[in-house]
Amino acid sequence: MAAGGVHQLAQCITCHAWNADLSMVAVCPNNNEVHIYQASPSPTSAWECIHVLQKHDQLVSGIDWAPMSNKIVTSSHDRNSYVWTLEGNEWQPTLVILRLNRAAISVDWSPRENKFAVGSGAMSVCVCYYEEDNNWWVSKLIRKKHHSTVTSVAWHPNNVLLATTSTDCRCRVFSAYVKGVDARRDATTAFGDIKFGEQLIELDLACGWAFGCHWSPSGNSLAFVGHDSTIHFVSDVGPTPRAHSLSLRHLPLRDVLFLSETRLVAGGFDCNPMLFEIDQNGVWEFITFLDEGKGTAVEPISDTLFAAAKGRFKWLGNEVAELNLPSTTHENCILTIAPVISLAEKKAEKPVTRFSTSGMDGRIVVWDMNNLGDVMARLRL
Amino acid sequence: MEFWLPANGAVDFQAQVFSSSSIHLANTLRPYLTCIRNTLTAAMCLQNFPCQEVERHNKPEVEFKTSRELLLNPILICRNEAEKCLIEASINSLRISIKVKQADELENILAKKFLRFLSMRAESFQVLRRKPVQGYDISFLITNYHCEEMSKHKLIDFVVTFMEDIDKEISELKLSVNTRGRLVATEFLRQFT
Repeated sequence: MAAGGVHQLAQCITCHAWNADLSMVAVCPNNNEVHIYQASPSPTSAWECIHVLQKHDQLVSGIDWAPMSNKIVTSSHDRNSYVWTLEGNEWQPTLVILRLNRAAISVDWSPRENKFAVGSGAMSVCVCYYEEDNNWWVSKLIRKKHHSTVTSVAWHPNNVLLATTSTDCRCRVFSAYVKGVDARRDATTAFGDIKFGEQLIELDLACGWAFGCHWSPSGNSLAFVGHDSTIHFVSDVGPTPRAHSLSLRHLPLRDVLFLSETRLVAGGFDCNPMLFEIDQNGVWEFITFLDEGKGTAVEPISDTLFAAAKGRFKWLGNEVAELNLPSTTHENCILTIAPVISLAEKKAEKPVTRFSTSGMDGRIVVWDMNNLGDVMARLRL
Repeated sequence: MEFWLPANGAVDFQAQVFSSSSIHLANTLRPYLTCIRNTLTAAMCLQNFPCQEVERHNKPEVEFKTSRELLLNPILICRNEAEKCLIEASINSLRISIKVKQADELENILAKKFLRFLSMRAESFQVLRRKPVQGYDISFLITNYHCEEMSKHKLIDFVVTFMEDIDKEISELKLSVNTRGRLVATEFLRQFT
């Protein structure tokens, strides 16, 4: 599959997020600023920087754009978060006192957009909600549950369950039910009645640091990746979850995204998004790399003595370096995968057909699954 | 670096002997370097990671070793007792320490001087550590910032080419020292004939 559109925006992009109608994208160019581009997912469009949000003093580590309320939340290594609202033609920041004493690493809006969660280096998770009386965002902390930095947070579609991954190699599911903010009936889930901060599941599946957790659209399954080149799928998230792990022979992954209940993409240090699919027996399996450039770089196998000798002289000629050249659209690690889906389409519960990846090479690449036909056709042969 | 090499027959002959032996050397060197290259490809999966011990700091975890869970198991690759390579990885940094072959005292002193010369100019190499790890001759420190600025395979190529060239460089230095010594001795002894 050819990548839909490739946009070189900076030297390195730590995170990016799309707005509701896909006309703008917020990008952090690996510094304390957030750039908002006038953008479009179409392959030929040229993107133009229209706003620069400057308020943080250290690297911005997470951006999320709420589609319904059109608010942007950013988190940064300077321990703060800002909620940005568009007033006229200006983005107005509101400081959120996270009450953290270490860097904020990742941020995610809850599906109903009345709360957001921030994972941090202080081994805690902040769940923030808006308090109208005081006109500020209040933060409630989930403390002493993680033994290391929280690398990512993800909200369950029911707006109360929160999944986190951490560098202590575990993935956990918490209750983030806030009394007075969420309706009382939300407190009753598959886990029974839950209180704020309760740890519901702890998954000790990976042998390396865990990253990039994500829920399936229905909230039935959860996926996350480990730095030991594994990807873990948890289905029937409830009191008796079922887990399935896949070990890969490639470099570790960094982020995952469910396209539908049966399909998932993941990206990481191989610079090439990987497609996973569930088969008839309900078992997840790796299907293909989405970037076609890769598969060709196979080292020739020398079967005769002469070829082996020839290969040896070739090596002496110092050509071995050229075998390792990346031939993918991304030339460095993929850090973020974001769905490219407008608010109107999302309601219909259609599978996500487009997504964008950004990474350490400073590119945003838009991928269209509708162009995937040729790859899939070849696969079926 | 420039080396002073007189153009006479003896040196040419020696250089030929050396180059033929270097092919033999390269054959045994190859698996060693391939192993290092593959290990580096797997180990160089670095990312930005702020310190979880000190507020508003961001430093290479492999150097400070404040949190045990952020370090990976170190890997030691040995070609023989005298030549080895230690690769220590962490979440945001990677340290490669190399012990260069030193067959005799002359090679020992040459390696020491030459690597000291390089270490003194560590800034211009960016990934070179100013001081080698104890027990090793030279160390590289690669952080996530290097991986953001430079492409990963170029970094790995640099390290591997460096290891490939360092032996060659020291052998050449040794050769020129010997040649020069012989010439000086010849000139000196000529006055007695």
